[in-house]
Amino acid sequence: MTQTVMKIDDLHLSFPVSRSLLDVVQRKPGKSVNALNGVSLELKQGETLGVVGESGCGKSTLARCIVRLYAPTSGQIHFEDENIFGAAARKDRSYNRRVQMMFQDPYSSLNPRMSTGDILAEALRVHQMRPENEIAGRVEELLELVRLPQDAAEKLPHEFSGGQRQRIAIARALAVEPEVLIADELVSALDVSVQAQVVNLLLELQERLKLTILFVAHDLRLVRHVSNRVAVIYLGRIVEIGDSETLFSAPSHPYSRALLSAAPSLDPDDKGVAIQLEGELPSPLNVPSGCPFHVRCRHVTAQCRTVVPALRALEGRGEVACHHAEEINQHA
Amino acid sequence: MTDHPILEVENLCTTFSRGGTALPAVRDVSFALGKGHVQGLVGESGSGKSVTLRSILGLARHYGEVSGSVRWQGQELTSMSERQLRKIRGREIAMIFQEPMTSLNPLLTVGTQLTETLKAHTDLGRRARRDRAIEMLDHVGIPAAASRLGEYPHQFSGGMRQRVMIAIALAASPKLLLADEPTTALDVTIQAQILDLILKLADEMSMGVVLVTHDLGVVAQTCDTVSVMYAGRVVEQGDVRQVLQTPRHPYTEGLMRSVPQDVPPRTQLYSVPGTPPSLFSLPEGCAFAPRCQSAGPACQTARPTLQDIASGRQTACFNPLPATQEDAA
Ligand SMILES: Nc1ncnc2c1ncn2[C@@H]1O[C@H](COP(=O)(O)OP(=O)(O)OP(=O)(O)O)[C@@H](O)[C@H]1O
Ligand SMILES: Nc1ncnc2c1ncn2[C@@H]1O[C@H](COP(=O)(O)OP(=O)(O)OP(=O)(O)O)[C@@H](O)[C@H]1O
Ligand code: SF4
Ligand code: SF4
Ligand SMILES: [Mg+2]
Ligand SMILES: [Mg+2]
Repeated sequence: MTQTVMKIDDLHLSFPVSRSLLDVVQRKPGKSVNALNGVSLELKQGETLGVVGESGCGKSTLARCIVRLYAPTSGQIHFEDENIFGAAARKDRSYNRRVQMMFQDPYSSLNPRMSTGDILAEALRVHQMRPENEIAGRVEELLELVRLPQDAAEKLPHEFSGGQRQRIAIARALAVEPEVLIADELVSALDVSVQAQVVNLLLELQERLKLTILFVAHDLRLVRHVSNRVAVIYLGRIVEIGDSETLFSAPSHPYSRALLSAAPSLDPDDKGVAIQLEGELPSPLNVPSGCPFHVRCRHVTAQCRTVVPALRALEGRGEVACHHAEEINQHA
Repeated sequence: MTDHPILEVENLCTTFSRGGTALPAVRDVSFALGKGHVQGLVGESGSGKSVTLRSILGLARHYGEVSGSVRWQGQELTSMSERQLRKIRGREIAMIFQEPMTSLNPLLTVGTQLTETLKAHTDLGRRARRDRAIEMLDHVGIPAAASRLGEYPHQFSGGMRQRVMIAIALAASPKLLLADEPTTALDVTIQAQILDLILKLADEMSMGVVLVTHDLGVVAQTCDTVSVMYAGRVVEQGDVRQVLQTPRHPYTEGLMRSVPQDVPPRTQLYSVPGTPPSLFSLPEGCAFAPRCQSAGPACQTARPTLQDIASGRQTACFNPLPATQEDAA
């Protein structure tokens, strides 16, 4: 059946925080931001895995680890059974080509002085995708693939609208024929109609090219629409993961429920019943003991304060990291 | 309603020039904002929303040509000297810029940037400024605020940087907030918290708000009125309920239809066909005509102007959509 293309195991990453002079004088120990606290997941061939969660919970850090912009403090990522941080994989540059990241703001990641055609041609040359005499033809093909007009090749990035620039970034990522796309807030800056166009294009290309996509976004309607599976991250840990429709129609983890209930309705009269999160906001500087959500959870018990709940399958739902998932969902 | 508007924008036009050709980025934008009123601004990428805000604040005139009138509590801002404007900016009128990455100084700590703002715009002492800075970061949901004041912007996540921008804008308790996509990089729970904070300030401190956003859910939940922009012009505006529930302009209706709601998962979404026109070569008639399903011959040659179609409701369209379902039948 569906093959696993990428396997992430118990990924941890902490960033040291610069100590203030006072801390140094007082010999306080250095602190660190624990951005990832044991993320494990599998990406399956041809699927879209949506990733949602609180701002600052580690989504971009995870994405950046996958494309090796950050090295994890511990844990492993295997791509087709090869450790991507291992010596052999580091020497082999094909990984950089096969796994492509698309950034939120294509304007700052596209060279403003290079024409679209040159940007695409450069990507093709760097990874030696085509012999020199076929490059022009391939650039044309790519522009057509993302439905940009042929005269787009001569234009500079600023001569395009936001949506078109986003498509240039997609074309560049696709130029090197990747198998996995990491899309971090890919469409957040676009108006809904252009968002719809980009999403349509992604779905279509995924079908045709059998792409595997990790889709990070805050727009829950959009994530629900594009994803096969969804992972909910809280303070650097996956608290729930499972089939997208199941998770969205019946979230099981108390944090997932609160998150989904906060999505603003399109109806001005429907003020919704957002589940209020109580307690202080958690800090990755000081991750709570036990269940990381326990300081804000209505269902907290003594066990939650000390024992970290493991991710486990819940009948009829996905996998959930909560000691009391059964009881909580029974009363729902 | 807006009996005593604090902000009156009339026929605001902003033109840039690129390689000798005029680029009409904003055309004839007019609206009035009362105390504590929240006005939404939505529309296609590149339709002139950010330029409208920059023109109100007197920033666009440095690199473009601005005409029309912007009256702030009775004073004309468009003709005001830069020195006078600087006293109003940040203190009375604050702006949250669209790009939190580029509007924070990468070389200064977050704490310094906040306290500098307070130093420039309030009479608070050193100690009080630090306390206020922590309080503001706390308000916008930055956990362990006190211990992160000494960090630099690159050590914050995208959404955290955006929250710092919001804290800076709100720190001096402005009377008018111009917010350009303030919550796009935030998760929905923090978004709800920040929108609540903005609404609370609007209510309790009578702060007026102009809110630019792509999220129609945010518009529905926060705004009193909304203007929809297309190719530099307002094509529809009015009460938020009326505009979202019974859009009369075909572009507004297209936007509403593009939201992925009640569509089978992983199927193609509706999107307004075609692409927006280049501002260099706008069609002679209605700018939306090449993409409009209701377009008739008149639309190709004449440009529709904003007309009152109901009380407080305006549309710029020769063939507006029917007002109710019954009319449609
Ligand atoms: N280079 C860095 N140095 C220090 N801390 C960092 C760095 N990058 C990220 N962090 C911290 O790691 C945590 C997770 O950040 P990350 O960017 O992964 O969040 P995110 O889930 O993508 O959030 P958002 O939705 O706001 O983009 C945050 O607390 C952030 O401050
Ligand atoms: N400084 C400038 N010089 C020249 N043209 C500009 C400048 N700033 C904006 N423009 C142009 O003015 C038009 C309107 O831009 P604006 O930034 O207001 O769009 P927007 O509605 O905010 O779009 P988005 O939703 O993508 O942010 C665009 O065509 C843009 O390219
Ligand atoms: S483990 Fe306990 S604290 Fe954590 S989510 Fe479940 S009930 Fe709440
Ligand atoms: S004026 Fe004509 S082209 Fe323009 S929106 Fe109305 S019907 Fe469409
Ligand atoms: Mg991020
Ligand atoms: Mg803008």
